[in-house]
Amino acid sequence: MTSTGALLRAERVTLGYGRRPVVHDVSLDIAEGGVGLIGESGSGKTTLARAFLGLLSPMSGTIRYGDRPLHKADMKAFRRDVQPVFQAEALDPRMRVGRSVAEALPRAARSRVGELLEQVGLDPALADRRPHQLSGGQRQRVVIARALAVGPRLLILDEPTSALDVTVQARILDLLASLETERLLITHNLAVVRRLCRTSHVLFAGRVVESGPTSELLSNPAHPYTRALRDAVPRLGGDPPEPKGATEAVPAATGCAFRLRCPLAAPVCERPPEPRDLAGRRVACHRAEDVLSS
Amino acid sequence: MIEVRGLQVRYGGRLVADVPELDVAAGECVAIVGESGSGKSTTLLSLLGLTEHAEVSGRVRVCGVDVLTASPRRLREIRGARAALVMQSPQAALAPATRLGVLMRRALRLHGRTDVDRVMARALEAVLLDPEILRRYPHEVSGGQAQRFAVALAIALGAEVILADEPTSALDVTVQAEVVGVLHRLRAERDLALLLVSHDLALVSTIADRVLVMKDGAVVESGPAAEVLARPSHPYTRELLEALP
Repeated sequence: MTSTGALLRAERVTLGYGRRPVVHDVSLDIAEGGVGLIGESGSGKTTLARAFLGLLSPMSGTIRYGDRPLHKADMKAFRRDVQPVFQAEALDPRMRVGRSVAEALPRAARSRVGELLEQVGLDPALADRRPHQLSGGQRQRVVIARALAVGPRLLILDEPTSALDVTVQARILDLLASLETERLLITHNLAVVRRLCRTSHVLFAGRVVESGPTSELLSNPAHPYTRALRDAVPRLGGDPPEPKGATEAVPAATGCAFRLRCPLAAPVCERPPEPRDLAGRRVACHRAEDVLSS
Repeated sequence: MIEVRGLQVRYGGRLVADVPELDVAAGECVAIVGESGSGKSTTLLSLLGLTEHAEVSGRVRVCGVDVLTASPRRLREIRGARAALVMQSPQAALAPATRLGVLMRRALRLHGRTDVDRVMARALEAVLLDPEILRRYPHEVSGGQAQRFAVALAIALGAEVILADEPTSALDVTVQAEVVGVLHRLRAERDLALLLVSHDLALVSTIADRVLVMKDGAVVESGPAAEVLARPSHPYTRELLEALP
């Protein structure tokens, strides 16, 4: 454990594939109460998750597991403590789902398959089915049961509900909220984070643009990108969205990466914004005061 | 533009969609809402006669054509041209080794359109796409761009009806808003009849005039969107509303 109590922590981490960095200088703790990583496709959130799982080494900076750098840690203990939950397609299509769960258990504990399936709200009789014989929601529950098999302290969940119907999604979110395991949740949907994460980090073009209590970020965003994400979530009976054709503008190579999509962009945004503390969160935006007051 | 009476779709004798009545007028947006397996996509596909191996009965009229009795040739006249289908994964539906410009040009010529360049430019402008996209291959565009390209193709071909099957559920929320916004605007500007299939009641509530809620193949509730959402009468509709995160 570090002094802050975080099980995992990124310290000025830059990540990339080949020589090309896609995540820049990110520092964050996976602290208690659930942590959300929010951003759209290509924002670097899955890359960061891969680094937290020890699947990608940083180009610079350090991922810490407890008080040690992850690459020097006891990986057996790490794999027991930190488990990934990907989308349900991660199940072997030929394998009965009970066996998929059993594989994650020590040989002596394989009788616990039924108990684990029950824990995630599945009938133990489903253990004999293959993935294609289950619904999308049931398959996702199997994936969660398999992750829970080793008794992890932290689940790293990458878009665990984005392929599911809203009713099924709601039940999976209920299940995740009921677990005592800590969680890092990666998603593009702020509404999902609201349920499960006390703290959230918003990523744009590989940089954390806003971090803070999820409730603050949602009720009063300080970064225009956080606000765009929040406003994009459809509200029941809300106004039709206004298309602007802005979402495909490539991130700016210099200055603030968001400026080509930003409704508040000003000449000052041609300089890169430094992260700063403001109104109970950390934000990297020259115009944050204007965002908060508008 | 769409008129359905007593539509029943069966696979191997099993009833998978039972829609007593469904009308979509020009300039109107109707949404079919329900979870996977509710029969909503089957209903949509049957409107273009695309339910292979199914027994379909009832009356289905789209753009004045009686779909269930029309000749294959007559069906081809409306499919893709007057009534266009927008699928969940447009990239999967686009030929992977064909540039988007070649694909669009070919579709327009196939349907006998002239003045192809002008039509293409206008259609792309309508969906807020840069004409530069025509030089790209499907894998070189984002999901939201591919989806708007599918809508542009429909517009270029002069579609009067757009049938959209979960057009945004594979997209990021910001991109989803763009696609839904484009569909909504085009409906008003071009008097399009829009039939939208989705599992997301919040999303459809922003643009639909009327809503049909389907469960296990049956329509359990239907009516004006504002009324169904404010006073849901069926427990399943209430369940869908409560499920919104």
